[in-house]
Amino acid sequence: MSANNIKLLAGNAHPELALLISKNLSIPLSKIGVYQYSNKETSVTIGESIRDEDVYIIQTGIGEQEINDFLMELLILIHACKTASVRRITAVLPNFPYARQDKKDKSRAAITAKLIANLLQTAGCDHIITMDLHASQIQGFFRIPVDNLYAEPSVLNYIKTKTDINNAILVSPDAGGAKRVASLADKLDLNFALIHKERQKANEVSRMVLVGDVKGKSCLLIDDMADTCGTLVKACDTLLDNGAKEVIAIVTHGIFSGNAREKLQNSRLSRIVCTNTVPVDIDLPIVDQIDISPTLAEAIRRLHNGESVSYLFTNAPV
Amino acid sequence: MGDIVVFGGSSHPELVNMICENLGVPSSRVDLSKFSNGETNVQIGESVREKDVYLIQSGCGHVNDNFMELLIMISACKSASASRITAVMPYFCYSRQPDIPFTSKGAPLITKANKNSNIEGDILSPAPSALMTQRPGSMSPFKVADEEVRTSTNQTLKKSVSASRIPIVSSKKDPKGTEANEAFNAQNAGYKLWVAQSGTLIANLLTAAGADHVITMDLHDPQFPGFFNIPVDNLYCRPLVQNYIQHHIPDYKDAVIVSPDAGGAKRATAIADSLELSFALIHKERRSQLLKGPPDATLTSGGGLNVSTTPLISNLNSTEITNSPSKYIQTTMLVGDVRNKVCIIVDDLVDTSYTVTRAAKLLKDQGASKVYAIVTHGIFSGDALARIAQSEIDQFVISNTVPQDETISALGKDKVGIMDVSRVIGEAIRRIHNGESISMLFEHGW
Repeated sequence: MSANNIKLLAGNAHPELALLISKNLSIPLSKIGVYQYSNKETSVTIGESIRDEDVYIIQTGIGEQEINDFLMELLILIHACKTASVRRITAVLPNFPYARQDKKDKSRAAITAKLIANLLQTAGCDHIITMDLHASQIQGFFRIPVDNLYAEPSVLNYIKTKTDINNAILVSPDAGGAKRVASLADKLDLNFALIHKERQKANEVSRMVLVGDVKGKSCLLIDDMADTCGTLVKACDTLLDNGAKEVIAIVTHGIFSGNAREKLQNSRLSRIVCTNTVPVDIDLPIVDQIDISPTLAEAIRRLHNGESVSYLFTNAPV
Repeated sequence: MGDIVVFGGSSHPELVNMICENLGVPSSRVDLSKFSNGETNVQIGESVREKDVYLIQSGCGHVNDNFMELLIMISACKSASASRITAVMPYFCYSRQPDIPFTSKGAPLITKANKNSNIEGDILSPAPSALMTQRPGSMSPFKVADEEVRTSTNQTLKKSVSASRIPIVSSKKDPKGTEANEAFNAQNAGYKLWVAQSGTLIANLLTAAGADHVITMDLHDPQFPGFFNIPVDNLYCRPLVQNYIQHHIPDYKDAVIVSPDAGGAKRATAIADSLELSFALIHKERRSQLLKGPPDATLTSGGGLNVSTTPLISNLNSTEITNSPSKYIQTTMLVGDVRNKVCIIVDDLVDTSYTVTRAAKLLKDQGASKVYAIVTHGIFSGDALARIAQSEIDQFVISNTVPQDETISALGKDKVGIMDVSRVIGEAIRRIHNGESISMLFEHGW
């Protein structure tokens, strides 16, 4: 087979991230147009030849009003590339949409994450790159390879350089995240505490119990995503009530939907740190961002060259 | 096959209720909501195990939201062990497949009207691509002009992306869109813009979600069912249209059926033949005055911009041409006699309404006494309703495949006629459930 090149395509969900990735790879974004007709159907045009190229489509799952629009954009882009005879299509989904609807938790509930997996494959996707999947089992919903990258190395760097590590303790806001936090705690050689929460309805948390001692410590609250921020704010209150000195929340996906902004503004969190897997448009002074585009860019480069990506699970490229 | 179960999506609850009334089956409970992050949430409220499930969702409103909702409903029913799942889509979204690029001025499917939209009314119209009408099989005489390529550097792409995020099309001037179009048309790289054809994709997505059968109505492309690997029943609105003409249009025997463009001729002649009416056709022809010379001489400025001032354009030798917008002449011809007659414009779909309002104007100019428009799917995007309110159309008749409350309130009750499709769809569901033939519905309606 003749040599082929990386082509980077970007949807409308997160153009800033696409540009950062493109800068990291020194490859310009391809010329495409993704539009919406006046009747709200999505239209895609591709302005340059992508025949027999290695195509990466960058689109993240975000948007209180537009998440389905962005998803359709991605599907139509994939389909357009497929019919334009590309060699391989990789969907780069830093935040996988519908990742939390991954199980039949009630009778006749839809396993929408599985549906999304099917839709992506039906459209013609050959490979998926994503980051910090809510449940890593979602990889099993696909018949195509899924590279689930971790923000952990970048988070580690952040903690080492920008927080007071000597007096810190890591806290998981729920039992499900304990594994993630334990792994970080091992690498930083820190203690960790756990908050047990009882959830009665989606997006609502009722009661919290702290397991571990946080008195006088600077708490680093670690989670994979912050959506309505109810959990984070309540966890923060629980920690401070138990004598913590300060609370810094570090999450991978900062979705901040609903009235998250007000909640954060009124909260006693001293800082909230998220990565740029999704665009963050709340302008609070306590919000800080970690750039994970080097990791995504390096994954794309390695994937294209057929190199191992496992290096990226433990190291953050700069 | 188990019992019939009907679920309605959130796009058109009124039609769902009417269909259920006609079927004598109550619509089953389904909770449709959104999580706070925008993700669609579907909760099927009744057992569907081994049932024959019908999901009704029209492709209107926020199209992508409604389509995803349908897919999730299908998937939820599938995983809840339904024996057969039929997607009922009265209006099928993404059924039109444009093959030319979108412009900031509107959906390219629909021809644009100018204030003086008669014979040469489009001379001042900007982008040729915005002016093309596509019907399947219609030959574009301006292929060359369509080969405008968006070339952009890294930075300009960003502009175009951010501009394209804005869904407005009807709004007056979008400065960002202007830049995008500049970039788009700045150079001719000899590559024909690849426009995604999403028909096959939509068909595959429905199948992938788990649909076993599709019922729809008056598909824009007769080829569309061929994209599916599952049966597609395309119902026709024609019997309803004939019925409406016979019962609601006085002196219909002297009326003329008019097709607003060549693509719809077949649809219109079928109705004219069965009612034994005469037939007229509006034919649009677009001629370029400057089709000679090197290919890049046909470059045009997209979106009616004064691109000639930008350096990107000025290095082309076509500045002068780009500057003169009057290089296209559109001739609109009416084939057939309509003087002092009642005209009935028949079409399958009205979206931005340029085609139909312009056709009405032409008919009135040619001496038509009264103009009716009978259209199956009334999408009315952008400022379509305002345009129709000001147009020469005396009465607008549409079906309720798409909610029409807004249309009635915008145009007034007297000016709007509604054809009810719920009986046809309900009967089709009943027949499909019972394994009976539905072909008589094609001829006689219900």
